[in-house]
Amino acid sequence: MRLYAGICGSFPRPPELRRAINEFREGKIDRVEFEERYKASFKRVVRLQEDNGLNLLTSGLLLWDDLLRPFAENLDGIRLGRLLRFFDNNFYYRCPVIVDQIRWTRPITLDEVRGLSEAASRAVKAVVPGPYTFLKLSEDRFYGSKDKLADDVVQALRQEIESLSDLADFIQLDEPSLVDPELGEDDRRWGVELVNALLEAVGVSRDKLLIATYFNLDSRSYSILLEVRAGLHLDLSSTKNADHILMEEGYSGDLLSLGVIDSRSIFPEDPGDIAGRVEKLLEKVSAKALAISTSSWLDYIPFEDAVEKLKTLGEVLRRLEAGSR
Amino acid sequence: MSYELPRKLVTTVVGSYPYFPEALKALQLRKRGERGREYEELVRRAIARAVEDYLSAGVDVVSDGEQRREDMAVFFAEELRGFRLSGLVRIFDNVYYRRPVIADRVGWDHEIIVEDFRYAARLSKGRPVKVTLTGPYTMYTWSLDRYYGDMRKAMLDLAEALSREIKALVEAGARYIQVDEPALSTRPRKEDVILAGEALGIMVGKLSNVKRIMHVCYGKLERLFPEVLDFPIDQLDLEMKNSNYALLELLKEYSFDKELGLGVIDVHSERVESVDEIMEGIGLGLEILPPEKIYVKPDCGLKRLSRETALAKLRNMVEAARRAREELA
Repeated sequence: MRLYAGICGSFPRPPELRRAINEFREGKIDRVEFEERYKASFKRVVRLQEDNGLNLLTSGLLLWDDLLRPFAENLDGIRLGRLLRFFDNNFYYRCPVIVDQIRWTRPITLDEVRGLSEAASRAVKAVVPGPYTFLKLSEDRFYGSKDKLADDVVQALRQEIESLSDLADFIQLDEPSLVDPELGEDDRRWGVELVNALLEAVGVSRDKLLIATYFNLDSRSYSILLEVRAGLHLDLSSTKNADHILMEEGYSGDLLSLGVIDSRSIFPEDPGDIAGRVEKLLEKVSAKALAISTSSWLDYIPFEDAVEKLKTLGEVLRRLEAGSR
Repeated sequence: MSYELPRKLVTTVVGSYPYFPEALKALQLRKRGERGREYEELVRRAIARAVEDYLSAGVDVVSDGEQRREDMAVFFAEELRGFRLSGLVRIFDNVYYRRPVIADRVGWDHEIIVEDFRYAARLSKGRPVKVTLTGPYTMYTWSLDRYYGDMRKAMLDLAEALSREIKALVEAGARYIQVDEPALSTRPRKEDVILAGEALGIMVGKLSNVKRIMHVCYGKLERLFPEVLDFPIDQLDLEMKNSNYALLELLKEYSFDKELGLGVIDVHSERVESVDEIMEGIGLGLEILPPEKIYVKPDCGLKRLSRETALAKLRNMVEAARRAREELA
């Protein structure tokens, strides 16, 4: 079994990037200077991951204002709507409002993923929103038909994913809505079917695709999630009995990512305890590739605490590797 | 000076009022750690102006306008023992804020809003002054916990600490105690609702001759039911206008018989509701509760509105309540 350690998605913007973004938006610096300062922050975040021993790297999604924003801004047919709460977090996303036919016209995150693959000396993971979460968090003012809208979202995301496939070792589709505790069983099944329709359509090997769920895990949603025809990322930190659910239901597949580091808490975590939890889980689950990860994005804690998470993650990996030798 | 409250459709506010320039200056001083005589004087002047506006609008039960508080969780975190502030955390886009961090055991070691209550009460011409405190559930979920690692333990300590403040407030004469729990409607877990009720028990469960109120707004308010019916409170203060009074149906379904703080003013819109529109909202409330059990008030705090709008909205609200009382008579 191949063992990876990497963060689930975003890393908090370093202070110097926060400042650069403000200065650029206020017109105090030009695009050239902004790009330079962004690249410096980007390199810092990639280096932080590498220096802490992580072997599955993300770009940190440092320019993403939220999960949907790069797509809401760059797909045809969408304009930005009001700010809405992102699940149960004190974090808000801008609702994509669909006002015309959705069309993918050019790669959206390709430059970012290319930059990552050039800067990184280890495996890299790209992130895109999954189709179901995209639909759930958007407002349709054009289609009036869930199926037609879903078809176009699937096509748009398929093209984006295919544009990344040569550069990324893994591509993660974020689907927090699939495990939303408020969701009815029929909706959840429809969501999984939609994800599978995309997986079916996309010309990328399934063993490099990962469906990321977070903020919840319960037994009802997990049993439906097992029907997803790709790897899974599970949040094992937000729900008390998540480990138990995984142990009970088991897992066997190509790729499993365990969100054992709590990305929404700064309570000190003991790498030994976490490594022990993972070893216990491995008695019941198996995958060709296993990743240990943060439970979700790291936007919910300060930069300096997120750096601590990287240290913990790296240390857990070292302990697991030492244990398996 | 005493003031006779109407027996029906008492008007009140949720707590905050738009910041007066004096308050904004005071908040700047506070950020710099300058909490001397100038700071206190500015806060007092701001409170006086808020109370003056309430009186001019004719509100029956007023507040201090929360002129001392920039953020409802950060303010109490700065005053209670055990907290510090975090590094910057993103709230949206490139906008960041500092979250309270629970870094040690939470405790209470000094009066926090008692003096503001006393001051507002001196100016309110006999009208009762409602005091508002951010509740343990909201304090916990809007903070980062580095000490407890256990929500229940943290919340019970928070409840204990806040109960000391409440005790001091009651001793100072406060008779309207409102615990604000806006976070409670964002996390729908049942165990959280039950725990919030237990924490309320610690804070206000044993109080008598005091109106015990809980304010909740914006979110999945329906998930508080039915547990909230057993909370040790006399009044549930809810946002109603923003959600087009949809919750009234739910209250009816559960035969709700506590007092209701009926939100009739949208605090996110600068549009001033007409008297007729507000009367219509009051009418909907009267379909499920007698007028003695309805407190007429805005959905939430008014601090995001301009002062002119806030005042105009309150004036229409008071007028609508007055006319509704007349109609009932």
